[in-house]
Amino acid sequence: MSTNIIVTNKVTKIFGGLTAVNQVDLEVKEGSIFSIIGPNGAGKTTLFNCISGFYTPEHGDVLYYDVSIRGKATNNIASIGISRTYQNIRLFSNLTAIENVMVGQHPRLKENWLDAVVHSPRFKREEKTSILEGIKWLNFVGLRGIANSPAGSLPYGAQRKLEIARALGSKPKLLLLDEPTAGMNPQETLEMTSLIRKMRDQFNITIILIEHDMHVVMGISDHVAVLDFGNKIAEGKPAEIQSDERVIEAYLGPGGAALAEKYRRKKAS
Amino acid sequence: MNKTLLSQSLRVGITFGVIHLFLLLIGFNAMLGSLFADIARVKQSGSIPASIFLVLYCALLGVWAGYSAAKKEDANVFGRKLVRGLIAGTVAGLISAVVSIIFAVLVTNKIDPRKYLAVLSLDFMRASLFNLPVVQGVAANFGVLAGAGLAGGLLTALSSFSKVKHAWKNFAGLVKGGLEKIRYCTSGKYHLLFKIIFLVVLAAAIFFLPTKWGSYWNYVIGTVGIYVILGLGLNLIVGLSGQLVLGYIAFFAIGAYTMALLNAPEPHNLMWGFWPALALGVVLAAFAGILLGLPLMRLRGDYLAIVTLGFGEIIRILLKSDLMTSFTGGPRGIQDIKGPTIFGQPFNTDVNFMYLIIGGVLISMFIYNRLKHSRTGRAWLSIREDETVARASGVNTVKYKLLALALGAAFAGLAGGIFASRNQFTGPDEHALMASINVLSLIIVGGMGNIPGTILGAFALKGLPEILREFANFRLLAFGALLVVMMLSRPEGLIPSRRPTLQIPEDPQSDEENKEVSHVD
Repeated sequence: MSTNIIVTNKVTKIFGGLTAVNQVDLEVKEGSIFSIIGPNGAGKTTLFNCISGFYTPEHGDVLYYDVSIRGKATNNIASIGISRTYQNIRLFSNLTAIENVMVGQHPRLKENWLDAVVHSPRFKREEKTSILEGIKWLNFVGLRGIANSPAGSLPYGAQRKLEIARALGSKPKLLLLDEPTAGMNPQETLEMTSLIRKMRDQFNITIILIEHDMHVVMGISDHVAVLDFGNKIAEGKPAEIQSDERVIEAYLGPGGAALAEKYRRKKAS
Repeated sequence: MNKTLLSQSLRVGITFGVIHLFLLLIGFNAMLGSLFADIARVKQSGSIPASIFLVLYCALLGVWAGYSAAKKEDANVFGRKLVRGLIAGTVAGLISAVVSIIFAVLVTNKIDPRKYLAVLSLDFMRASLFNLPVVQGVAANFGVLAGAGLAGGLLTALSSFSKVKHAWKNFAGLVKGGLEKIRYCTSGKYHLLFKIIFLVVLAAAIFFLPTKWGSYWNYVIGTVGIYVILGLGLNLIVGLSGQLVLGYIAFFAIGAYTMALLNAPEPHNLMWGFWPALALGVVLAAFAGILLGLPLMRLRGDYLAIVTLGFGEIIRILLKSDLMTSFTGGPRGIQDIKGPTIFGQPFNTDVNFMYLIIGGVLISMFIYNRLKHSRTGRAWLSIREDETVARASGVNTVKYKLLALALGAAFAGLAGGIFASRNQFTGPDEHALMASINVLSLIIVGGMGNIPGTILGAFALKGLPEILREFANFRLLAFGALLVVMMLSRPEGLIPSRRPTLQIPEDPQSDEENKEVSHVD
C-alpha cells in the first residue's frame, strides 16, 4: 500500500500569461482516495489534464509507478491504466450505453479489422466477453436494463454513472473523477459516494477526485490537497485541512479564518 | 374567425398561384403533361403534349391547393372546408388567368419572348391556353384551378367524415396487423426457413433479372450499383469515422485509371488483364488514402473538407494536364479498355457486368456491415462522436482515422475499376468535383451510416434522373425540392441510422457475480 501510483513533480502549466498550475507536487498512494479541492479556477481540472495527457506541462514531470508519462499520447496513457471522467459529461451520446462501455474496453481488446471481416475465433470470443463484461460494469455502477438505450437519452444521474462505467471498462489502476457529484441531489450524492468507495474496496482502484461537496470530500478521502490560483496551499488528512487557515481564507477571502472561528464558537455555545 | 378563414385561404391561394406562375415560366407543365401522356401511352410530337394533359396538370395543382387550404380548418364543418378550398382555388385561378391574359396578348400579337424566357414559344403559350380561342382559354385557366380548388376542399371535407376516417383506420390496422403477422411468422421458430426462402428468392431475382430486363436497365441499375459501392466507401469515412472528405472521387479516379492504363491499347498497351488491374487499383486507392490522410490527421471538420476538396481537384487536373498527356491520355481520356475474362472466356456483356457489379455491391455491403459491428466500428463511431474523449478512452485515433480513409478509398478503387472497364472509357471529366458531391449527397439523402439508406440514396440520386429522362432539364429543380422536403421532414435522411440492439445475456442479479469481474488481468 505504500507505493506511490502517481507523483507530480513541480508540474507547471502556463496558458499565455496565466500560470494555471504552478509547481504542484503531489504524491498519491496506491489504493487511496485522494481529493483535490479549491475555489473555481484554481487549476484542478488543468492538473487532471496534465496527468491524463490532454496537456503537456511546461515544467516538471508526472511519474506513474516511477515512470515519466509527461508528453505521452493520451491514448497510450489510457491503455496503461489511467482512466478519467469529465466535469461536463462527455459521453458518446448517439451510441448505446453498452457500446459506450465497450469503447471503454477498447485498449484491452486485440481484435482488428481483419478479424471483424472474417469473424475469426478471436473476434467472436472478444465480442462475447466484452458484452458480458460491459453488462457487469453497468450493473456495478447501478445501471440495470438500460444497456441498449442511447447514452444521450439517459437522465443526468445515469449519465454520470455511465461515464464511470466507461472509465472502468479499461480496468484502470487509477481513476480520475472530475466533480462526480456535480448537479446531483443528496440521495444521488450518497449513492455516488458509496460507489466511489466500492470501486476502491472491491478493485483496489486508486481514485483522484475533484469535488466541491465538502461532505463528500471529508467523508471518503484519505488525503486532501488544496489548490488556489494554481498553487498548492495545503495538503493533509481531511481533519487537518478543515482547520487550516490558508484553506479557509482561500474559500472565504482574507479574514475568513477569524470569521469561521467566530461562527464555530457561536455554533458551539 | 371568418377573417382568419379568408386570410389563410388567400395566402394558400397566392402561394399556389405563384408556384403555378413559376412552373409555367420554366415549362414545367408541358414536361409533366408529357409524362402523363407517356403513362397514358399517348404518342405526341415535339415537347408539347395534348391539351387534356395540361388541363390534368392544372387540375392536380388546384386540388392540391384546395386540399392545403381546407386542411388548415380546425372546426369540423363541411361548408367551411369547401369555402376554404374554393377561395384558394379561385385566387390561384385569378393569378393563372392574369398570366393567361399576358400569354393571350403575346399570342395574338405574335410577339416571341423566347429571347428572355427560353421555353415561351408561341406554340407553348397556345398550349397553355389549352389550344382554345383566347377568351375561352383564359376562362378555362381560371375555371380549372377554381373548380379543382373546390374539389380539393370537398376531398378534405369528405376524408374528415368519421366513416371515411374509420374505414381508413380499419384499412391501416389491417395492413399493420398483416405486417405484424408476417413478422411473427418470420421471427419465431420458422425464422431460419423464412430467411432461406427470402434469400433464395433474392438470389433468383439477382440471377435472372439482368438477363431479362435488357441492356438499358442493366446500364441504369449498374450505375446505381457503382454508386452504392462508392456510397458505402464514403460512409465508412464520413458516416462512421466522421471525417468530412470532399475529394472522394479522386480515389475512384485512381481505380479507374489503373484499370485503364493497364488494360487499354493506348497509351501503353500493357494488357495485364482485368483482375490484376482491379486488385492493383484497389490497393493503389487504399495507399492513396493513407498518403492523403497522413498530413490531414490534425485537421477536423471544415478544414478537412477544404483540403480534401483540393486533393480531388489536383488529381483531376493532373490527369487532364499536358504534362501527363503521354502517360494518361490527357483530356481525351483512354478508350477501348478491355473487359474481364473468367477462365479464359470473355465476361464482358452488359449482363456479365451487371453480375460483376452486384458481386461488388454484395462484397462491399458484407465488409461494411462486419466492420460496423466490431471493435473497429465502435472506435470509428467514438471518434465521430468526440475525438478527444475517444483518445482518452484509449483509441488510437490517428491509426483508426487512417484505416477508415484507406478502406473507404479501397471501395472507391473497386468501383472505379469496374466502372472504367464497363464503359470501356475513362476521362478526367468523369472525376470532377460534382461526382464527389453526388456521392456525399446520396449518403446524406439516404441517411448517414447505414446500408439501406445508401442504396435508397443511390437510387434517388443516380437512378431516378436516368429513369426520368424527360426531367433532364428539371433535374436540379427536382433535386433542390427533394432536398428541401427532406431537410424539413426527415432531417436525418430517408432512413436514419439506428444503433443495434445487442443481445444481452441473462441479467446477473447477485452481487456475487459482480465480483467475478476480476480486476487483475
